Amino acid sequence: MATPSKNRHRFKKRAWLATAIALVTSFSHPIASGEDWTQFRGPDLGGAASKAKLPDTFDGESGKNIAWKVAIPGRSVGGAIVIGDQVITTTSDGMEQRRIRLLSYNKETGKQNWEQQFVSRGRPYCHPTSANAAPTPASDGSHIVAFYSSNDVACVDTSGNLLWYRSLASDFPKAGNDVGMSASPVIVDGVVVVQVECQGDSFALGMKVEDGTTVWKQDRPRKANWASPTPVKLPSGTLAVILQSSDDLVAIEPSNGKQLWSMQTGCATTPSATVSGGKLIVPSGGLTAYDLSSTGVPSELWKENKLNPNACSPLVANDRVYTINRTILVCGDAFTGKVLWQLRIPDANQIWSSPVIAGDKLLLFAMDGSCTVVSLAGEQGEIIQKNMLGDEVLGSPAISENAMYVRGAKNLWRISER
Amino acid sequence: MSKYLDRFTKGVRPSKKLTLGSKGLSRSFALTLSLGFFTTTISYAETPQKALETLQKVQPNDDAAMARASQAAKELAKESDLNTLQVLQAMQGASSIGKNWLLGIANSTQRKKPVSKQELEGFLRDTKQDPEARYTVFRWLTDGDDSSRNQWLETMLDDPSPEIRYEAIAKALEPKELSVEQLKTLLDVARQPEQIVDLIARLDKQGIKVNQSQHFGFLSTWKLLGPFDNTGSKSFNVAYPIETDWLNGKLAETYQGRSGDVKWISESSEDPDGLIDLAKIYNNEKGCVVFGVTEVEVPSNVRCEIRIGCINAQKLWVNGELIIANEVYHTGMQVDQYIAPIELKAGTNRILIKVCQNEQKEVWAQRYIFQARICDSTGKAIPYTIKH
Repeated sequence: MATPSKNRHRFKKRAWLATAIALVTSFSHPIASGEDWTQFRGPDLGGAASKAKLPDTFDGESGKNIAWKVAIPGRSVGGAIVIGDQVITTTSDGMEQRRIRLLSYNKETGKQNWEQQFVSRGRPYCHPTSANAAPTPASDGSHIVAFYSSNDVACVDTSGNLLWYRSLASDFPKAGNDVGMSASPVIVDGVVVVQVECQGDSFALGMKVEDGTTVWKQDRPRKANWASPTPVKLPSGTLAVILQSSDDLVAIEPSNGKQLWSMQTGCATTPSATVSGGKLIVPSGGLTAYDLSSTGVPSELWKENKLNPNACSPLVANDRVYTINRTILVCGDAFTGKVLWQLRIPDANQIWSSPVIAGDKLLLFAMDGSCTVVSLAGEQGEIIQKNMLGDEVLGSPAISENAMYVRGAKNLWRISER
Repeated sequence: MSKYLDRFTKGVRPSKKLTLGSKGLSRSFALTLSLGFFTTTISYAETPQKALETLQKVQPNDDAAMARASQAAKELAKESDLNTLQVLQAMQGASSIGKNWLLGIANSTQRKKPVSKQELEGFLRDTKQDPEARYTVFRWLTDGDDSSRNQWLETMLDDPSPEIRYEAIAKALEPKELSVEQLKTLLDVARQPEQIVDLIARLDKQGIKVNQSQHFGFLSTWKLLGPFDNTGSKSFNVAYPIETDWLNGKLAETYQGRSGDVKWISESSEDPDGLIDLAKIYNNEKGCVVFGVTEVEVPSNVRCEIRIGCINAQKLWVNGELIIANEVYHTGMQVDQYIAPIELKAGTNRILIKVCQNEQKEVWAQRYIFQARICDSTGKAIPYTIKH
């Protein structure tokens, strides 16, 4: 039981948090609508704000609550995004997955709107688990940016017209990792930010979303890294992008590349950071929360090794933080980092797909296409359903209105009550 | 008249197609293609043409060219008279980056104002067009239409487009049972490494032995020297005496290694992938450098490629010139992982490779290995002999 003094302390923390929430929010796009899922993990970095009502049960084989399914040649391990009435995804196919494609489908019908394709100019090689089409695309509502393991970047408008294309492997020939790159791009303040960290040419790059020209370039540690940049809006109103690596954690102002702060700390290189309620929550030393409302280098709020997120990115909802440590779903107090409960996900094989939350349910896909639905309504998490999609799933789902869009390795799925 | 029509009216015809001897294109299908090809008409407006030229020329690290190209792409998106074939033809001679810009424009143009199937078929048949443009058209024509796809692929086993050839061979390999003759025909035209390995294995099952290493052109004979020190991975850019001696064309019998004098070891790999396993040869030495030298003789000057696969940091020199350098450890290894064009001169050509191992302790970071081959730009081995 909590003591009065602990309660007071907690109340102060919550009061502080309420103020911070008003000041610090995860980045939301100025043009995209509230129902858009604009980037890897969506505008709220995990769907914590989603009120979507998704069916608890669905089945790929029988078609139960599968509104539509579209087979897509090639392979993708990135997630889909939703812009207006379009679901956007990527694929890589052909010889050595050298053909890289960007595809748009009507989100109601699954009918293809348009397709763009390019030829990889960088090396397309990757581990068989991954794909050249590994990063999730990003959009600001009017531009759509696709990025690939081969370090090709393309930007199109919402009608699929090419706005610009850039081969970062040509600009920086030593950029790349033959296990595969996977950091997803973000668009912040009119700038596309990509994180290309490897043992060769290692950098983060800001490109003008209008024409792809370089706004800034920051050298990064020459070590393999698959974590994605995390967009955030700071209390001052400044839009920033957080970059994490095994050496450091830095905040960059995307409009000019100015480094707002940096700290030498070892962060995980697969799961990405998240932002919630004035806190930057970073896969580092397990999981570490930093106070973003302070000026300068953020101070550490807590660190909890048991919240180690392994491969999936953490997410926060209703003052709780959730991580997946191999096949264990761990829930912690977002204020203190204290572990509240753990739940084993039975029969789950490898899990790469970052989970999402819709309403009071957490949805977690394993690589074999099984989706575990966990109710977060009670004091403890409770598994209420396990569904089989029948497709390999490594990308994180997208949620828009009362539908979930899942990019399987071979198919794009809409899961909703018809 | 467009270059496209001009070329055709001057009588450039598709070369005789290699098939596996079954059906080939049906007569009516081939006629349809030919008629469509003849009836193609294209008009060039000056402004779109200039915009296309802008896209053709985009080079790496050129922001000004990027801005111009982006503007040109926007203009072309509004251009109602733009013809898809005009855009695809512009890919011929474009920079590799320019080709992707043009591909992006062609995709949109074809969606908005599609050229006819017959016109596309004519373009696909024209093997003088850009290979990537032709493969794009192939996919437009055949995605979702297996019958059409199969008909095309039967005639495309030796297509100049690597992507089309890959698809044609993949299709031809679908049956489990193929005759020795069919497999040999496919092996002769195959260029993609996985397909080649598959073909050689299938021939082997039928009692036909193919020397895989020779087929690929792997350099299987080396003289090795080491280990030298690479503690802390600090020696990648340290020029050991052998590097300068090699450049000067003189080699000593012994050098000062990490733990005393080291001598040359002759290594001749029997591995089908031409692998030189330095971990095995040097007892899993860590934090070290090993050098390898070999001499290749060719009868006349030849432009070709040297292609290496290596899971460790490496540098490679040909005739004293640094050709390849990658300071990358344990992030995957592939046949043809790193490719560089070279020109071998008539007579003896001297190749030096420096392979660095770091000190990572993970199980997956213990390999110390490389392979190298010499081939033409399509991946076919060129004739050479190793000077012993």
